[in-house]
Amino acid sequence: MSTLRSNQGKSHLARVEQSITSMQVPRREEDVQEFQTFYQENLGLIYRYVYSKVGNREEAEDLTSQIFIKAIRGVDTQRGPQSIQKWLFQVARTTIADYWRVYYRVSVNSLEELLEGGWEGPAEAEPAIVSSRPTERVQCILQALPDHYREVLTCRFLLNLSLRETALRLGLTEANVKVLQFRALKRAADLEHITTGSR
Amino acid sequence: MSDEDQERFEDYLELEQYIEQLQAGRVAHPPAELTPGRANIYRMAALFRSASPESGEPRPEFAAELQTRLEQELQQRPKVAPRALKPEKAQKKGLQVSRRALLTGGAAVAASLAAGAGINHVVEQARATPNQSSDPYAGRIIASNVPTTWHLVTALADLGDKAVRFASDTIVGYIIRDDGDGGDPDKGKIIAISAACTHMGCIVQWHDADRKYHCPCHGGLFTEYGHVDAGAAPIRYLRSLPRLNTKVDSGNVYVEVPVGQGSTSTKTWQ
Repeated sequence: MSTLRSNQGKSHLARVEQSITSMQVPRREEDVQEFQTFYQENLGLIYRYVYSKVGNREEAEDLTSQIFIKAIRGVDTQRGPQSIQKWLFQVARTTIADYWRVYYRVSVNSLEELLEGGWEGPAEAEPAIVSSRPTERVQCILQALPDHYREVLTCRFLLNLSLRETALRLGLTEANVKVLQFRALKRAADLEHITTGSR
Repeated sequence: MSDEDQERFEDYLELEQYIEQLQAGRVAHPPAELTPGRANIYRMAALFRSASPESGEPRPEFAAELQTRLEQELQQRPKVAPRALKPEKAQKKGLQVSRRALLTGGAAVAASLAAGAGINHVVEQARATPNQSSDPYAGRIIASNVPTTWHLVTALADLGDKAVRFASDTIVGYIIRDDGDGGDPDKGKIIAISAACTHMGCIVQWHDADRKYHCPCHGGLFTEYGHVDAGAAPIRYLRSLPRLNTKVDSGNVYVEVPVGQGSTSTKTWQ
């Protein structure tokens, strides 16, 4: 008995009572509406987040589907929509973490460096999904880059120019461009923490 | 910068290949065994790719397909029985039993809650692993890295057509013969399910009369193979009872359960 009166027990008792009183016949229409709203509000967020991590449409769609399905299966619907959204984001983060683990395998020796180097990997802060759209983060970083780095990345990623087209446009050899884009992305990675404050 | 991050010729080539794949819209993965420094570069490439005008939004067809699929998921939850009286009855029953159980049941309820809490954790772990999405039982209850043991339930000859309960240190459940009447692919096999109600963890009770598992707490109801029954109280997103592995060895039926603290022999559950 005393266990039930403790703080932990109280919340359980409260939850049980709540679930009893809310156990009315589910109003199907409202349920469907609620879900549709939730879906419309969150699909874009999740999809863009995932895309910014995997870089291609096919995997972005696959993972987005997985995330929503996992989230729906495990959700505690007694909670409000904000709490459910939090749960959705949590599922998204762990799903991406699993993806990282498979495709960004880092050699075991580098594990220490991994942590020291501030590699984000699995433990990402929540703001990453909610606050800034990937497009905005990219703009931020671009502004902070030196001209030649900004130009090459704009060509390859925003304008989608090929290696050859980029080389022509910048007046460089293709070999130069390969080196330049490599260093530009490296610098961008360094800047990411500074400009967007993500850690 | 560490020595490992000295720029090499291959770095530029590999990155170029990755970028070209992204531009072609194909699935692209970075090379294996990256240093943290290099991993960041590829992450940046994926991020920058997502800023390109054609990458931003989900395809309308994709969005529609996913929405349909999710609505199907939602509908797999128990429907309210057409008999209008039934839900009310279940409600009332649930009300009385749970209140009474809570006020007087004391130890038994606490024990089942404790069991429920333990099992939920394992179930959550199992759910968290990337999973076969079409499996209605959403994967096995025991995560793959958990040490397990085979718990003896009963002799095969003694297993008739009724469910037989077992209780190990870590799991309370039932075994039953699958006679294939549910169109279940496991016909002929022995099925083991966890008895912890997937609502809040109370131990469900098999009734010979209707061949179903009844949850004493809130009206959860499951068919003989652990599926959610149509007559169950309208508990949202009630899931099927998780299944466990079984084996028959030397005429005895065993179920695979996580190793507990005590001995592996059958213990009576208080």
